[in-house]
Amino acid sequence: MTEPDATGEDIATTVRAALAAAGLSPTEEELAGLVAGYPAFRARIDALYAIPETRYASPALVFDPAPVFTDWSD
Amino acid sequence: MGVLPLTVTDAAARLRAGELTSVELTAALLARADVVDAEIGTYVTRLDEAALAQAAKADEDLARGIDKGPYQGIPIGIKDILAVAEGPTTANSLVHDRSWGAGQDAPVVQRLKAAGAVITGKTTTFEFAIGSPDPTKPFPVPSNPWNLACSPGGSSAGTGNGIAAGLFLAGIGTDTGGSIRIPAAWNGTSGLMPTFGRVPKSGCVPVGYSLDHIGPLARSARDCAAMLAVIAGYHPSDESCVDRPVDDYIGALTGDLTGLRIGVERANHFPPGADPALAGCFEAAIATLVDLGAELVDVTLPWYDEVTTALWIMMWAEAFAYHRNDMTERWEDYYPLTRINVGRGALASAADYVQAARVRRVAQREVGRLFDQVDLIVGPTTAGGACTNEALADPTKEFGELFKVFTGYWDAVGNPVLAVPMGFTHDGLPLSLQLAARPFGEATVLRAGDAYQRVTDWHLRPSTLLATLPAA
Repeated sequence: MTEPDATGEDIATTVRAALAAAGLSPTEEELAGLVAGYPAFRARIDALYAIPETRYASPALVFDPAPVFTDWSD
Repeated sequence: MGVLPLTVTDAAARLRAGELTSVELTAALLARADVVDAEIGTYVTRLDEAALAQAAKADEDLARGIDKGPYQGIPIGIKDILAVAEGPTTANSLVHDRSWGAGQDAPVVQRLKAAGAVITGKTTTFEFAIGSPDPTKPFPVPSNPWNLACSPGGSSAGTGNGIAAGLFLAGIGTDTGGSIRIPAAWNGTSGLMPTFGRVPKSGCVPVGYSLDHIGPLARSARDCAAMLAVIAGYHPSDESCVDRPVDDYIGALTGDLTGLRIGVERANHFPPGADPALAGCFEAAIATLVDLGAELVDVTLPWYDEVTTALWIMMWAEAFAYHRNDMTERWEDYYPLTRINVGRGALASAADYVQAARVRRVAQREVGRLFDQVDLIVGPTTAGGACTNEALADPTKEFGELFKVFTGYWDAVGNPVLAVPMGFTHDGLPLSLQLAARPFGEATVLRAGDAYQRVTDWHLRPSTLLATLPAA
């Protein structure tokens, strides 16, 4: 999570580091676009944690311990 | 042969009345594609020879009294992220592994072939169903038959614009954040996103594993119902496909909405910048539903922005997992918007992904409570008509711009949604109405959409391009 008072430099560092950790090599122009959009992107994600009803909710993810493995092309 | 049919229903009747053969119909539509496809970019791969052979078989079967249902002998397009044995699957991408699915049919394609459908080709998608057109790449840049300077929307761009241009009568699209309903809306056609798990999605290149839906686009709700009847149902190769009976979608089309309770969602559907004609078209559409017997109730979808955000976060993260290895090695081969959208998946944490899934869960519960009060929830599909390809492809576009299409919320909660034309923008581009139902309530949305289309003709209006082409 980016601190509310993060500077532009902090944001750029955060974005650059996340992309580098993922092995991605955007152009400087693309990087600038992602950096510019990051505060709004992060704010929207942070808003997901502000819904009280999720406090004890399970995620909409299901793990099947006994899956049937069938290839669609069989 | 006479005037070429616009709808599957009309064509099926004329095939059975002996007024038209599938070979005649298929050949005529392929001839249209010869004229206009270079301009509108519907096809990635045409399958003329195979299509004409399938058409001949359909004619032969009908002549022998073998009737496989409404899609027998009907020319359709298949979005080029589903495997079709007769041609490659490109996903409109230099990166996609062409050996994937080679010589195989996706289960949905198997079912359509078994129903006698004629597959005329693989239709243009935005790259991997998540990018946007790029003229520097060796794939078609699709345009909108209502205005060639505009985008047909996506990602099921070629299926949408091919129907509007009269190159086939129906087709298959996929919807992860709106990719069936947006091209349906912008091309003036109908399009159905079924309930998540209603239609097997195996044999389709994934975008977001927990969000992908395969469904029909066609002129009418009735034609969508007939295609859903073919493609719906359990298949063991898709772990998210649900094993439950398939409803009688055609039998549900009664034309009567008496007693149907419709929730009207205005709160989240009229943002600043919405087309000036949107509100009037929408109010006229719901007035028509009332005339047909429906009762209206005002509703508000819970956590609208948050649920829509959850959709995009999960889609981008799931897409990033699929593309990471290729993207680290072949960044430049991807389209610019694919790089940005998928790359955003690297900016969300694993905890963010799980929290998005928790938001989806609580939203499902609250939306379920709304559906205790109403049978349908309606709103516009998008805030306006088609934009230009350039505007669509702008990688610097703000995240908030995504909130001018109203499709993603429903992908996040998984309910079925039908988009139908409801009028035109101030400058003559199609506008669309969305009707959502309870999970597995496809019969209800189709019943309402069909009833609406029995008393309106927006879905039958020819696109600007189609109006210039010979009708026979």
